[in-house]
Amino acid sequence: MPQYKNKLFICSLIIGSLFLLLVLRLFYLQILKGDEFELFSIENRIRVINSPAPRGKIFDRNNKKIVVNRPSFDLKVFPNELKDIDKVSELLADLINIEKTEIKQSITSAKKKSIYLPFILIKDIDRDTLAAIESNKPDLSGITIEVNYLRDYPEGKLGSLLVGYLGKPNKKDLKRFQLTNLDINVGKTGIEETFEDDLRGANGINYKIIDALGRQVKSKLFQKDIENKETLSGNDIHLAIDIDLQRKSEQLLRNKRGSITVANVNTGEVLAMASSPSFDPVLFVNGIQQSDWNELTNNKYYPMLNRSTKGTYAPGSTFKIVTALAALKENIIDEESTVYCPGHYKVGNKRFNCWKHTGHGWVNLESAISQSCDVYFYNISEELGIDRISKYAKIFGFGSGTGIELSEKDGLVPSRSWKYKQFKEPWYKGETIVTSIGQGFLNVTPLQITMMTAAVANGGNILKPILIKRISDLDGKNTMVSSSEIISILPFDETQIKIIQNSLISAVNEKAGTGKRAKVKHGTVAGKTGTAQVISTKTKSKKDIYKDHAWFTAYYPAENPEIALTVLIENGGSGGSVAAPLAKDIIDLYFEQKNGVIQNDNV
Amino acid sequence: MIMFDRRLIKNFGWLILFLSLLFSAFGLINLYSASYHTGLGSFKKQLIWVSLGFITMLIITFMNSNLLKRYSMHIFIISLITLVIVFIFGKEVSGSRSWIVFGPISIQPSEFVKLSLILIIARFYSNDFEDGPFGLKDIIKPIIFTIMIFSLIILQPDLGTALIIILLSGTMLLFMGIKRKSLLIIFGIIVLISIPAWNFFLKDYHKERILTFADPTVDPLGMGYNSIQSQIAVGSGKLIGKGYLAGTQSQLRFIPAQQTDFAFSVLAEEWGFLGSAIMLLIYFLLILTILDTASSSKDKFSMLVALGIAALFFWHTLINIGMVLGLLPIIGVPLYLFSYGGSSVLTAFIAIGIVLGIKMRQTLVPKEDISLEKNN
Repeated sequence: MPQYKNKLFICSLIIGSLFLLLVLRLFYLQILKGDEFELFSIENRIRVINSPAPRGKIFDRNNKKIVVNRPSFDLKVFPNELKDIDKVSELLADLINIEKTEIKQSITSAKKKSIYLPFILIKDIDRDTLAAIESNKPDLSGITIEVNYLRDYPEGKLGSLLVGYLGKPNKKDLKRFQLTNLDINVGKTGIEETFEDDLRGANGINYKIIDALGRQVKSKLFQKDIENKETLSGNDIHLAIDIDLQRKSEQLLRNKRGSITVANVNTGEVLAMASSPSFDPVLFVNGIQQSDWNELTNNKYYPMLNRSTKGTYAPGSTFKIVTALAALKENIIDEESTVYCPGHYKVGNKRFNCWKHTGHGWVNLESAISQSCDVYFYNISEELGIDRISKYAKIFGFGSGTGIELSEKDGLVPSRSWKYKQFKEPWYKGETIVTSIGQGFLNVTPLQITMMTAAVANGGNILKPILIKRISDLDGKNTMVSSSEIISILPFDETQIKIIQNSLISAVNEKAGTGKRAKVKHGTVAGKTGTAQVISTKTKSKKDIYKDHAWFTAYYPAENPEIALTVLIENGGSGGSVAAPLAKDIIDLYFEQKNGVIQNDNV
Repeated sequence: MIMFDRRLIKNFGWLILFLSLLFSAFGLINLYSASYHTGLGSFKKQLIWVSLGFITMLIITFMNSNLLKRYSMHIFIISLITLVIVFIFGKEVSGSRSWIVFGPISIQPSEFVKLSLILIIARFYSNDFEDGPFGLKDIIKPIIFTIMIFSLIILQPDLGTALIIILLSGTMLLFMGIKRKSLLIIFGIIVLISIPAWNFFLKDYHKERILTFADPTVDPLGMGYNSIQSQIAVGSGKLIGKGYLAGTQSQLRFIPAQQTDFAFSVLAEEWGFLGSAIMLLIYFLLILTILDTASSSKDKFSMLVALGIAALFFWHTLINIGMVLGLLPIIGVPLYLFSYGGSSVLTAFIAIGIVLGIKMRQTLVPKEDISLEKNN
């Protein structure tokens, strides 16, 4: 039928151009967008099974557990494998006691983000629920149980300020720890934060090939393009802390505010570092509730503050050790120099009182330290001057961090230039006088005082405090062993240090010594009390918070020193009566431990 | 009835036969892969259907098209009756009552009905009409035929086949010419009917299919899921494909209905752009040869039947591949000679057989024509 040839030709053209359109679409999907769709097809069939790495544990120096892990059974949802959201939500609602609508909503909102991204619906379900879910598995395609690890604290609150807590990583954490997995918790404070990289380990990844129904494919098909990653447990941390000393220290601080720090004078190892009040780390295990968080952060006594490293206080009379050594070194005084203390000291028409208003009479250096005579130090401070006081204070490590493996405060050592910078004012003589007895602008941490005392005890070495003895991997092999480090050697003669040591022994063991309540029967304690005035505005108030801070720092045994310790009680009153007895209890326990006396005081 | 004549062999449409057999062979190879992990059941069945179809095709080929013309009304009436029977006694599969079951065999009569519509429309024009364009009154008969079949199919409901019916009849009517005014009236009526049809006749899942088509990612696990998975399969095949039996989307059964409506996704995933473009080319050539047969056929009836069959193959291909490639909403339309399904295989082979018959008888030698007349 030749008369239809033209029409049929037009038909061919139309058909041809529509076929061309199909080919163009093929080109678009397969050539232009091919790589993109290839990724989709990989995501489609590969299910990523995380096997979380258990975080490293934290032990005390004798391998006693402080922080360990417990398994948490989490309900994980694979949105792309869910067939009937309504049915699954209903079944889950029965099993886990959460409203069906709530489950459905969280599934749909997660699905909207990405249907390939699995997410955890509920964390830490109990064993009964776990059993119920396992037995309903056939009806719960797309739902799996993932075992994660949560922190567990067999000793409860013990050392919570020291070890710190975990939390969701923020942007800074992600960068700092180079994290790829957002589902994990990272150390936010304390040891957990400092040693995050050692503790974390690496999560294992298992890829499983699944079919469209979410069933694992057993055949070798497509196995070649997947590569599993093994789980790498975090490394364990062995602290220098002695759990019994730590526990005792925390008990002694119960219902008080303050800190107790104990360190080995020869190695710098920190045996106990207690701070009160503290917090319960269990609150953070499953993510802290907003109300608990508010309570902790709004608490006016700062339970989240590790007072040993981050609390700064005027050192009070404990600082006389520094002033005395500086004066000896600068030949302003010697062992024999005496001063008459009438109970006060006058600079111009300004009167500075000794704590003992009736006066100490004639005092030499030893009695000035042991009885903590202020007037003696007022006298020498005039000649010594602020520049030299400040120089020696810095040599002792004040005004800068100790180098401990925790975040810490530097404290403050005042100087002329500092004051001018701060207040645009010159330095006044009276300020030198109060600085010499550890008042005024001076600010130190209890740990700094401990390291000062340790240096006096060990003959003049300022050591770096060490919290971590070693870090070991899963096989028990050490990945890090700490070693003692001398930060600086004090520039004093042996005899000069000996004079101070003897004075500290007198302070505890002489009848008139201010630290006599730290005296023990089984040996000799050397120590110095301190009573730091709380610098407050001129408000006249009887409130507790204006009471003096009580200090006591000591080392033991005096003949062959092993430990140095510092007790600080905020607003406790006088150091001799409040802080010294606590130090005695610690020293007693240390002695008992060393001599094998069984300690049953744990409760 | 069946004439054996050497002259017929001389004009035999070897190319048509070759292309259609080539395409169904590729269809079988592809179906082997698509059913590889489900025990090859559909592959084996399809093998039987293709063999049956081939034999049927040969028988039809040697049938004179005059015979088809003579009996086209009978065939049409039988078709209508079958559709009524399906509506009453048919088996419901996924919401549509489109199947008649004889023991192990299920037949989908609406497939064959497409051919009877082509025949009846061709016959209508082949009688004594002059050439178009025609007015509405002139073509009221084929319109009524179309509406009868369309209504019975939409009641099943089988949206895909109903759409094909409209497209088939529309193609043939437009080809023969319709007056512009009449065309506008027809469109007006279709639009007027569509609005209440959308509200009352379309089931929710049909509406969903059409609505989610716009953005399949809106509901990836709902109706759009199929479209997305199909596009992922096609796209991830890239230039040369993932290899035979190695398509992850198909072997792990992410592709919906991968043996029937989405068989082409499997091909595109495993053979890539090269494989699928070549398949489309073969199919295009097949349609061209059918159109060529139409243009060289001996009478108007044969020409129109061939045109109708070309349209049938074309619309099925366009809608099926368009759906596979995410260009069109998902409506169940098989790819002839490629998708699994006995009724569609048989229909396709019968159609090819008719075309081959027309081709064979395209030009009878005039002398013998005369002598034949004299003998009569």
